[in-house]
Formats: sequence, structure tokens, C-alpha cells
Amino acid sequence: MRPPMRSLSILLTSALAVTLAACSSGSDDSTDEATGGAASCAPASGNVELTYTTWIPGIEDVVKLWNDKNPNIQVKVQTGPNGNGGTYANFFNQLKAGNAPDLGHIEYDALPSFRVQDGLTNLASCSEVTAAKDQFVDWTWGQVTFGEENSVYGIPQDTGPMALFYRKDLFEKNNIPVPTTWEEYAAAAEKVKTAGGYITNFSQSDISQFAGLSWQAGGRWFSNDGSKWTVNFQDDNTKKVADYWQDLISKKLVSSVPPWTTEWDNAYNKGNAWTWVSAVWGANSIMSGAPDTSGKWAVAPMPQWTAGGTSAGNWGGSSTAVFKSSKHPYEAAKFALWLNTSEEALTALNKAAQLYPATKAGATLPALTEGVEFYGGQKIYEVFATASTQVAADFAWGPTMTDTYASASDGFKAVVSGTGTLNDALKTAQEKTVATLKSQSIPVAE
Amino acid sequence: MKGKKGPLLFFIAPFGLLFAAFYLAPIGYAIKQSLYKIERQGTFGKAQEVFGGLEQYTRVFSDGPFWESIGRVLLFGIVQVPVMLGVALALALLLDSGLVKGKAFFRLAFFVPYAVPGVVAAIMWGFLYSPNLSPFTALTGNVDLLSADFVLWSMANVVTWIYVGYNMLIIYSSLLAIPQEVYEAARMDGAGALRTAWAIKIPLVMPAIVLTTVFSIIGTLQLLAEPAVFRTFSSAVTSTYTPNLTVYSTSSIPNFNLAAAFSVVLALATCLLSFGFLKLTQRGADK
Repeated sequence: MRPPMRSLSILLTSALAVTLAACSSGSDDSTDEATGGAASCAPASGNVELTYTTWIPGIEDVVKLWNDKNPNIQVKVQTGPNGNGGTYANFFNQLKAGNAPDLGHIEYDALPSFRVQDGLTNLASCSEVTAAKDQFVDWTWGQVTFGEENSVYGIPQDTGPMALFYRKDLFEKNNIPVPTTWEEYAAAAEKVKTAGGYITNFSQSDISQFAGLSWQAGGRWFSNDGSKWTVNFQDDNTKKVADYWQDLISKKLVSSVPPWTTEWDNAYNKGNAWTWVSAVWGANSIMSGAPDTSGKWAVAPMPQWTAGGTSAGNWGGSSTAVFKSSKHPYEAAKFALWLNTSEEALTALNKAAQLYPATKAGATLPALTEGVEFYGGQKIYEVFATASTQVAADFAWGPTMTDTYASASDGFKAVVSGTGTLNDALKTAQEKTVATLKSQSIPVAE
Repeated sequence: MKGKKGPLLFFIAPFGLLFAAFYLAPIGYAIKQSLYKIERQGTFGKAQEVFGGLEQYTRVFSDGPFWESIGRVLLFGIVQVPVMLGVALALALLLDSGLVKGKAFFRLAFFVPYAVPGVVAAIMWGFLYSPNLSPFTALTGNVDLLSADFVLWSMANVVTWIYVGYNMLIIYSSLLAIPQEVYEAARMDGAGALRTAWAIKIPLVMPAIVLTTVFSIIGTLQLLAEPAVFRTFSSAVTSTYTPNLTVYSTSSIPNFNLAAAFSVVLALATCLLSFGFLKLTQRGADK
């Protein structure tokens, strides 16, 4: 091959990196409406077709219920990987390219990111939406309104109130009392270690669990006074949680298998990890990840920081949001309300994907008041229903959570590999988050 | 002359159009994006893209983790590329030597890993490395192949496994192109198989080796699939482990302008290294 040809092929291949970042095409002027003002919410005159992107397994059957009854408003479902697994990146690209779907599945922690990118329709002018406020668990409404008047950026869908999953058989066999406080939990951890197990697996790369633990303890990571953001992963309550888990990690009382891997499933299936402080949807994760342990688990309220306390954290939970580019916010909102408040939809969602509804009435769905065989017939959802009422309403997420999670997770990973402490990692994550906000010209207090 | 331009245009136009649409335009767009920045008012203020000059580039050049990751892939390349190409060359020479029976079978067998999608290969190797899942517990129980000390080389092993056959094939086809007369002449001069390989074959396939080296340098700097997959398995792989992973993480914030600037710098660095290597080898050839 002659040199000139070679140079050409190098040129061709070497700039692959450039094309990677350039997949989105520009139509930056698609969003000329000022933020803050709610979009008009008028019904369309003719038939409407909506597109809806989500990663709920089995969603097609649920949407079919709607499509059969609403010939004028047909919803087309697109499914993808979970949010941080790729769907959010797709949404951001679609928003930039001006071809986002009408409706999208967005977790509470990602809502601010989409709002700050000017991607969401404010549904506050849809009277049906504002009228539905009281149907939802209070804190979920705070998540979709950002605690502001005249703003609704999504319809709450499901929640993740947290509790303690524990191996009832192993605790009983080894005479370990079920911990009700974090102090007792640490004491139990020592006994579990003696018995040859780990009390739990510390989630090194999924920071949302740590966020849920901090939420319970009273940590507040972000606040927003309208003119600027405050980022604080160093308040006393968050520090308390970080020090607590650092202690368990240093004493090697917890394992640190990467979460959401087969290896992690294996740790629970083989009985290496005895408890998991997790959200309501965790019930399903254990069932699918640790099938050999059927009948051996039970659920207790989350351990408390003070004896007799009654506060719970939340891990996960989603909303259905209407993207700014949607031409039919009225119909989109109508569908989202049906999906997330009607008994038929909530029952179907729970059946298809074990979603735990964000509505107050949802807690009394037949499926959520029955005993669950995998958990020895315990009515586990009652524990979560109580927890749901104990979640503080004023926890806010930041506008670049993908980046915050990545930075914190980089640090946490180093900790379980033996470098630094959780507090150091949080401090670095805070600095990086502030830098990221600045690079996006988002006003932030130093 | 006039009559010739029509057909020429006809044959070049399809390539030219596609090349412009899918190559030049995206590059131009990325460069443009990298020169802009976001401005906004208030905490949820509407974002406005304004010309920012080289602001994104100052960020890129002061980004410690990014340059650390460039250093990391360079280290990776310095070790992995020679090992991989050495093995590829050895395999190609073996196939060409006539010592091996079932040539067609081995040629295919060496090449098969390349047919496995990179992500699938990475997941498969991830399982093999995982301490509790690996069938080779005797090894993984004692050495954590996914720890900070080893994970880079564990990935090098995956990359080598995938691309050895591919590079072998390029070198092998270049070996097949050597005219038989040359071998005859060598035999007349009394050269054995080893001597022929060393003095005839290797020098004659040097252009193919140079080409595969350049491809490998490019591939190394753009490592993405393996670290992205290993991130879920290993606590040592961060969100900025390789330059391309940084680009990916930045664009999913989303900060498209900064991601574009990272990409442009990475592409320039890749060009520089590839052309640098070519210049170096060509100067050697001129002597």
C-alpha cells in the first residue's frame, strides 16, 4: 500500500472520536418559549398519536388497555434501557435534535437535569393535573413541582420507600435480634461476621442507595433559592451516614461486590449477604436474583438513628413527564394521569413490573395487601406503606445528577479498593459537581 | 477533456456525498460545538448557546483526569500493541510456513474472536475474571484480576484476544503476496525456514505491520467498549478511565460543548501519534 492511501485511511479512522460527539443534529431554536410560564393546555381538535418512551417491562400490555378505550388518543410505546443506562442520554440527544417523544419515563433524581436543559413541559396549566395533586403521596408531589407554585414537571408514577430486607432464617438460627437502630445494625454486623457472612453488600457504584440513606438521616444535598444552587454533601447528617458506613467497610463487616451484577445476585443467592437496606422494588430484585432463598426473607422497618424514631429514606421512583417538544400536552397529560392514578393501570403496572404506586390510594391495591410467598407469606407491602408516609418531603436533587453520581461513584469505588474515605469521596464529588454546574453556567454558591 | 469529467463525477459523487454527509459534516459540527458555551439566567433559566472561543479547550487542557487517562491508554498501547502484533506475526508466519496442517481451519479459528462483538467479548471475559463466578477459581481466588493493579492488563488481554486474528489476517495476506521467485532465490542461497522468515518475509511484510500498528494505536486511544463494560464489574474503572469514556460521560451530563472539545483534542492527539509513527518508520525505510 502506498503512503498516500495509508494516510487517508488513518484520517478516516482517527477522527471516529469526533463523529461520536456529533451524532446530534442542531435545531437549537426549537425551544423559544420562556421557562417558568406554563404551556397552554388545550385539547387537540382531531385524532392524536402520542409517543411514550419507558423501560418498564411489560408496558405494552398496560398501554393496550388505554389504546382500546381511547381511539382518539393512541399511544405508541418505545422501550429502551433504564435511564442512566442509556435512555436519558437518548432523551438529551433527542431534545437537542428536536425529535423527543411526547412522554418519557424520568426518575425523580433526573427531573431537575431535564428541566435545566429546558426539556420539560410545565403542566401547571392543565387543570386536570393540578386537581390530581391530593391523590399523590405528599413528597412525590414535591419532587415533580420542585416545591414551587405554578409548576408541575411530571406525573408521579412510583416510589421507592426503603426498609430492611433480612434473612429471617439466619438471624433466628444465630440468635441475632433484628436491628431497629443503626447502632444495633452495626452490632449485628459483628455477629454476622462471626457466623461467616456479611451483614450486607455496600453499594459502591449505585450512589442512589447512599442518597436514600442520607435522605433518611436528614442530609440535604441540594437546594435552590431561585437565584442560585447550593451543593452540600458535607452536612453533619450526610457525614454521619458516611462515617457509619466507612466504619463498617474499614472493619470489613460488609462485602463490596459491584451492585447489579451476576456476582452480586450470587452473593445473596448463596447467603453471603444477610440483609439489604433497599426500596420496595428491591423485593423483586431479591426474588429474581436469589431464587434459592425463597421463603427465608422477611422485611422490617429501616433501622433508625435514634431509638423509636420514625423516618424512612427513599431510593428511586419515577415520574411520567411530557417533553417540551410535544404538540399535545393536554392529551399527553391525560394519558399520564390515567397511567399513574387509575386503578386498572396501577394494578397492571404492579402486575407487570411490581411498580409501587405514588398515589395514596395505591397502597390499598389488592396485590399490595396480600402476603408474599417468597417472604414467608409476610404482608411486606404494609411495611413499605408505612415507610412511604415517613419519607421527608424536602429532599431535592441537583441539575446534573448523572455527573454527581459518576463522581461520587468513582470515589466510592476507590474507597472499597482501599483508597481514601467515603467522606473524602463526597467532598471531591461536591467539588466536581460545583465545577460541572459552572461549566454549564448554572449559578451556584461556593 | 470535457467528455471525461462527466463519468468521473458520476463515479465519485456517491462517495463524495456520503463522505461529506457522514464524515466532514459531523466533524465540522463537532468543531463548531466545541467553540460554543452555554449561558443562562437563574437556576432553571433557559440555556443559550453563545460563542465561547477556546473556553472549552482551556477546560480540556486543565482537566487532570483526562490527561491521566491519555497517559493510561499510552501505557496500555506501549505494552499491548507490540505483544498483540508479535503474536499476530508469529501466527501468520506459522500459517505461511507449511509446518501447519489444516491451514484453512486455523486461519478461521484465529479470526473467530474478531467476529464476536466487542461488548459481548468484554462481558464474557468479565465473567471469567470475576472472583466468585469464574470457572478458574484457583487463579481468581488468589489474584483479583479486576483490581486496580491488574484491570488494565486484564482489558489488554481481552483486546489482544479480539484483534490478534484480525491483524494476523492482514499480515498473512501480505505474506501470500510475496512472489515465489524470492523464496526460490533464498533457497538457492541456502536459507532455511527460520532464515527465510527473518530475512525475507518479515522485511517484506513490514508495510503491513506498520499499517496494523497504526490501526492499533488508533484503537488504543479510542478504547471504549471494554472499559465501559468493565466499569460494572470492577471497582478500579472510573467514569474517566479512558479518554473516550470521558467523552461519553461528559456528553451524558449532558455537556455537548465540552464533550465536543474533548473529542477534537482526542482526534488531534490520535492523528499526531499515528502520523508521528508513520514518519518515524518511513525515515527508517529511507536509509
